[in-house]
Amino acid sequence: MISWNLYSRGDKIFSIVVSLLIGMFTIATLYPFIYIAAVSFSSGFAAQAGKVVLTPIQLTTEAYKYILVQPEFWISYRNTFIYTIGGTILSLLFIIPAAYALSRPQLIGRRYFNLFIAFTMWFNAGLIPFYLNMRDLNLLDSMFGIILAFAVNAFNIILLRNFFESLPQSFEEAARMDGANDFQILWKVFIPLSKPAIATITLFCIVARWNGFFWAMVLLQSEDKIPLQVFLRHTLATLSDDDEFAMTQLEAAYSAETVTAAIIVCSVIPVLLVYPWIQKYFEKGILLGGVKE
Amino acid sequence: MTSVILDKVAKSYGNLEVVHNIDLTIESQEFVVLVGPSGCGKSTTLRMIAGLEEISGGTVSIDSRVVNRVAPKDRDVAMVFQNYALYPHLNVANNIAFGLRIRRTPKDEIAKTVADVAAILGLTDYLDRRPSDLSGGQRQRVAMGRAIVRRPKVFLFDEPLSNLDAKLRTQMRAEIKQLHKRLDVTSVYVTHDQVEAMTLADRIVVMNDGYIEQIGSPMDLFMNPVSTFVAGFIGSPPMNQMQGVVSGTPSGKQVMIGDAAFAIPDNISVSDGQQVVVGVRPEHFSMTPDDGSPAIPISLNLVEPLGSEALLHATIAGQPVIIKAETNGDIKHLSGISQVYAPRNLVKIFDAESGVVITGQHGS
Amino acid sequence: MNTGSDKRHVTTVTTTRKRTLKQKLIWLGDHFRNEWQIYLMLLPTIIWMILFLYKPMYGLQIAFKDYSIFRGVANSPWAGLEHFETLFTNDQFIRAFWNTIKISFLNLLFGFPAPIILALMFNEVMNATYKKTAQTIVYLPHFISSVIIAGIVITAFSPSVGIVNTVLGWLGIDSIYFLTKPEWFRPIFVGTGIWQEAGFGSIVFLAAIAGVSPSLYESAVVDGASRWQMMWKITLPSILPTILIMLIIRIGNVMEVSFELIILLYQPATYETADVVNTFVYRQGLQSGRYDFAAAAGLFNAVVAFVLVMIANTLSRRYSRTSLW
Ligand SMILES: Nc1ncnc2c1ncn2[C@@H]1O[C@H](COP(=O)(O)OP(=O)(O)O)[C@@H](O)[C@H]1O
Ligand SMILES: [Mg+2]
Repeated sequence: MISWNLYSRGDKIFSIVVSLLIGMFTIATLYPFIYIAAVSFSSGFAAQAGKVVLTPIQLTTEAYKYILVQPEFWISYRNTFIYTIGGTILSLLFIIPAAYALSRPQLIGRRYFNLFIAFTMWFNAGLIPFYLNMRDLNLLDSMFGIILAFAVNAFNIILLRNFFESLPQSFEEAARMDGANDFQILWKVFIPLSKPAIATITLFCIVARWNGFFWAMVLLQSEDKIPLQVFLRHTLATLSDDDEFAMTQLEAAYSAETVTAAIIVCSVIPVLLVYPWIQKYFEKGILLGGVKE
Repeated sequence: MTSVILDKVAKSYGNLEVVHNIDLTIESQEFVVLVGPSGCGKSTTLRMIAGLEEISGGTVSIDSRVVNRVAPKDRDVAMVFQNYALYPHLNVANNIAFGLRIRRTPKDEIAKTVADVAAILGLTDYLDRRPSDLSGGQRQRVAMGRAIVRRPKVFLFDEPLSNLDAKLRTQMRAEIKQLHKRLDVTSVYVTHDQVEAMTLADRIVVMNDGYIEQIGSPMDLFMNPVSTFVAGFIGSPPMNQMQGVVSGTPSGKQVMIGDAAFAIPDNISVSDGQQVVVGVRPEHFSMTPDDGSPAIPISLNLVEPLGSEALLHATIAGQPVIIKAETNGDIKHLSGISQVYAPRNLVKIFDAESGVVITGQHGS
Repeated sequence: MNTGSDKRHVTTVTTTRKRTLKQKLIWLGDHFRNEWQIYLMLLPTIIWMILFLYKPMYGLQIAFKDYSIFRGVANSPWAGLEHFETLFTNDQFIRAFWNTIKISFLNLLFGFPAPIILALMFNEVMNATYKKTAQTIVYLPHFISSVIIAGIVITAFSPSVGIVNTVLGWLGIDSIYFLTKPEWFRPIFVGTGIWQEAGFGSIVFLAAIAGVSPSLYESAVVDGASRWQMMWKITLPSILPTILIMLIIRIGNVMEVSFELIILLYQPATYETADVVNTFVYRQGLQSGRYDFAAAAGLFNAVVAFVLVMIANTLSRRYSRTSLW
């Protein structure tokens, strides 16, 4: 990098203007979150009157009280944790060994296995056959079905395979000469050496699971199995066209809007908590995905 | 007491054969160095002994057992890799202990063995460090520690010193030699550096293009190269090679290079007018006519002082040669040299076409 | 003297080593005895893929059948191209197809340059902390679920309480019920996409910029170039290959509009501009139970997508010598 002191006047102005623009975009990114947080802590009256802009108006936690007493909220929260943790663990159990196997030159038919897996990235049967297949497998309205049916993802396998292939061959050879078998090589050498790649994939899995909504909505009927995102969707839908709710709560300290905002905050908080912890990995991880044959 | 025998060993990648029918017997406790230019098949040969590479033809025996179909871990050999392959996530002690752990050696035995090995290699103070916190030489020692800790029957080394700087390389070379003396384990060592080969080996195997060019002791290779290839590979600077023609004189056979005449041993079977290559090592030229060989006129281009010796870059009848001369602390007297002598019995003659040496006993 | 040198000139004929069948079988036996573990590691994934991805491909045949839940995929009677004939004369489907293309095209036009511009701008920021903080923030929306994004959009654009209408109110403009207006759907959808993904998308380009040799900039400084000139003359040309690849990937994914978000944002009033093939399939199949007809629409979509991806891959192979996978 060329030192700031050596910048010409024009360059300095240019850099400052660009920094300001970046700042504006950053604020534009951040603002909706601040706005939602402010709404969630405002009174229903203030929110409905459109008075909330940046900070809570008539500060109150009534909206939170309203959702936190609902058992459905907690059940769906718990379910999301089950789907996220169970699903991520299962994904890793599938993906890591498969990526290792595909990275081994001695695997007979390696090309064809790779093609078999990559093909699913280019062509998928679509919503209807997938749904009917789930029904045939008796996995409708099943928590296990949700965990299993979205466990594997070709992109993640390929990403990790590429990383394994980039490790010096001599690590594997040295371990082999020391008497290690493939499970030992994977467990004692490759996994410890691949922490960034595995962290990236774990991150992708966690995010996908935490945010997973469409199929949970389609496949799950029982109220006690739905994840947070579906609960959120139900609540959003009922609140916005539930006139009765609006009527009865007109004078109340919360409204459909503040409750919506409060649910959003509750759902985003866990993401914000793990985000800094994983951020250092995904910048690298995204680039590992620079997919190659 | 382990010998390693390669019998007509070959390696092909698809249709491309890169190692051709190699025969090599490595005696028990011997230190054999495979040397040759890069890409000549040294590593491939070594890796076939290790079991890391499938053997396409012939057999490899370790301890009189054919191991072609034996997995690496069951061959009881250990290997030191060029990049050391130290596990970055394990400290030195755990790197050394890795093989023992895999083989489920009892804990107290592991601790004791690792301590012993660390003591031998001077690593005792570094056992808790990660490889990334070690110097190049220390990493090299850890890599060797990982190999010797299992007390294998055979050590394999694949260019273990090529990642070190020149000074460390000299030092580690000596350490490897001492270690071999101490442990007395059959060792096969691959390098492209002929100095390493000369200093370490009991016997050197010179490889070229997937073939063995010559097998012999370091001095044997130095004094009696069987081909222009070996002559040009061993020694630093290598043997001078000049194109010439044989001509008989009353006083014996000579090879003419332009106007310069090289006297050659009488018993060499060459005929008048034959095209040959004359080989003379830089250090074998002499400034005095000790054995009555004719004077060879040179035109000197450059004197390169090295300290006690100097390299004279010159031409003989237009063909470049390098001559090593004593400086005796001063190079001024070297700049006036216009002729040198090549002692008759140190001159080598090679067939101009095949590059094979022509000797007195059996020639072409 | 021990020499191998003469042998070499005798045995110049290399015997090609052909294995006999028996040797091959022995080799295979050895191979599986030594390497069975890697096959075991691969097996679960292969079975999973057959069960959850390839079996549905087999199920796609219902697009050509008169599917009945009771008879199942295999036993339903064939219907030929009947569903496709219905499909191509169905106004809603044709509208959904063109909407998909239009939304994708708008995404490409506005959504594709955004991360590039952002990356170029990040590259000009001198203060490292400021840059890092801004990056951390703009990456964040990528990790937020579409339900929440939809919730934020709905709240922000709501007629009575939304901040957008509040601001319009300050400017003396009557409040607009954005999400019921077909003409507003696409701008809101594409804008949301940029808000959510531009930051995260810039990572790839920032990495490409980081790969540009500093000596290029140094020599440009010596030549007296300004930062603005360097951006155009050095940075942009250097990352052009990356831009090209990402563009090709985008073109390959034209049929993949994020329909989750559409389902959450659209309503009958905006179907006119918002309905895409996948949402059409969802309504026809999963909501109305016309499985075979919806499967036909899905198949059409998948085939178009597949062809586009293949073209994209061929292009990238030609222009960058690297294929995408
Ligand atoms: N996996 C492989 N596929 C094809 N050719 C190979 C492979 N490995 C090595 N070779 C070729 O075999 C020859 C010998 O390689 P190697 O034994 O590594 O040489 P070196 O003497 O430098 O150690 C080289 O020409 C190399 O290109
Ligand atoms: Mg080598």
